[in-house]
Amino acid sequence: MDVWVQLLRKKPLGTLGGAIVLVMLAAAALADWITPYGFSQTSLRERFIAVSPAHWLGTDQLGRDLLTRLVFGARISLYVGFGAVALGSVLATATGVLSAYFGGRLDLLLQRGVDAWMAFPPLLLLMTILSLLGPSVFNITTVLGVAFGIQNSRVIRGVALSIKEHTFVESARALGAGHVRTALGHILPNVLPTIIVVATTGLSTVILTEASLSFLGLGVPPPYPTWGGMLSLAGLDHMYQAPWLAIWPAVALSLAVFGFNMLGDALRDLLDPRLKGG
Amino acid sequence: MTRYVLRRVALAIPTLFLVSVIVFAMMRFMPGDVVTRMVEGHAYAPTLAALRHDLGLDRPVHVQYLDWIGGIVLRGDFGNSYWTRQPILEEFVRRFPVTLELAGLTILISVVMGIAIGIVSAVRQDTASDYVGRVLAILALSVPYFGLAVLVVVLPSIYFKWTPVWTYVAFTADPLANLKIMIVPALVFGVTRAGPIMRIMRSALLDVLRQEYIRTAWSKGLSERTIVLRHALKNALIPVVSLVGLQTPLYLGGSVIIEAIFRLPGVGLFFFEALTRLDYPVVQSVNLIIAGMVVGLNLLIDLSYAYLDPRIRY
Repeated sequence: MDVWVQLLRKKPLGTLGGAIVLVMLAAAALADWITPYGFSQTSLRERFIAVSPAHWLGTDQLGRDLLTRLVFGARISLYVGFGAVALGSVLATATGVLSAYFGGRLDLLLQRGVDAWMAFPPLLLLMTILSLLGPSVFNITTVLGVAFGIQNSRVIRGVALSIKEHTFVESARALGAGHVRTALGHILPNVLPTIIVVATTGLSTVILTEASLSFLGLGVPPPYPTWGGMLSLAGLDHMYQAPWLAIWPAVALSLAVFGFNMLGDALRDLLDPRLKGG
Repeated sequence: MTRYVLRRVALAIPTLFLVSVIVFAMMRFMPGDVVTRMVEGHAYAPTLAALRHDLGLDRPVHVQYLDWIGGIVLRGDFGNSYWTRQPILEEFVRRFPVTLELAGLTILISVVMGIAIGIVSAVRQDTASDYVGRVLAILALSVPYFGLAVLVVVLPSIYFKWTPVWTYVAFTADPLANLKIMIVPALVFGVTRAGPIMRIMRSALLDVLRQEYIRTAWSKGLSERTIVLRHALKNALIPVVSLVGLQTPLYLGGSVIIEAIFRLPGVGLFFFEALTRLDYPVVQSVNLIIAGMVVGLNLLIDLSYAYLDPRIRY
């Protein structure tokens, strides 16, 4: 709780980021109640409206309300973002702590695997996997989660390695604690702040990656709206007629990334000064 | 030094082997099937079995893998596309200059912008120019490059009657026309990537400027310009170089999207088209070549530390 008080007191940008995230969460959770239209409710008489009292952010080529679609799009971004980060954090923690704790051959094997994975440009690898699996919410969440986990297991491993060297771990072993107890009861709690930091700073990256994959048509399939999908090239011809179709999803995505970035940075500074970056 | 280089090169071999196994296994064991798509959508062959046999996909998986990797290692043959039957390496080499130019210009733009703004921000810490620089960096971090690219394609054509040039001209054919085409995509991509570089430049320079040898330089009466540019900058550049190195995969991956938006006939577009057709050999080989480049580049970056920081010796 202390962290949140400090956030409010010392980190104005982080607080702003947190507020944006909260608004997004509320919009996504209440999407069914706060939007007067359905996300795929078409109205051909109301195509390409720029701004009107009935449609605050206008409508698209099928007369669908843009604000409604953005609100439902937030749901996908958050669902995939939090889902993937949760899955990835568990994976990263498990492999990172195991790799650091046992060392030796297991560590060597796991780390060479991570090396190989990191040699790919992430987008190429994700595109390859998703075009084979086919687009769906479940697939993109799982794939992004696994990728996030592999990438961050290195960070967790590094922290776990340094904790392993502390004398309290040795004392625990000397007092007769087994491997499981030492790893879960003594090392894991000390890795936890790092995990939280990695997860919060990773959210914006995951959301952005989901959007770029949806942009390429490899994310969540239509008619369900995603921000990346709304920006995508498939709608380019319509955007020349109705530029707001490109502007609002780009603004929404930028705001979300900004919010998560600022919140993540602030939490990192407060929770784990060791990881402080630029 | 030579021994270190040799050791690093030797270490890259198992990594690349694993890369090839990963990408090959994905193509064979995940659900998407190129044969179904070729027969059902495009009638490339009368039956699935006939085409499968024709492409050699009815052989055991390890034989297929050895055939592919053996061709690369022994003959430098990266295989042919299933759909066009054209050699992959030839197409890759023809298209690579486009991607290289895009990535090069992008890195140049982002590094120059990031370093310049980073230096100003650090030297004038907590002044108005510092705040402007930091806000710009945050903006650059937040705006997704593909969103910016779409806006750059759409908005100027509506409001200023300006559209990006869609017909690609090779640099060798007409350098000026080529740069006119490449500069917009490179700017869009470069500007959004300058944010992290600026932030790390700023914090690294601030760290260095607080060190003792800088105080000595001040007390010798050197000008601020000499101290920042000649004494501090080189040491502060190390984290910047490693960041750019770490980000190279992002530049290469992002070029797929940038090339798709601006219709540049580069490797990214080649890869994307192959992917939509599930062209196994193309996807495998392009992934492997690019991963090889990333590994090679990381090696070069490690070696460049020795130049930047003479204390580092191998």
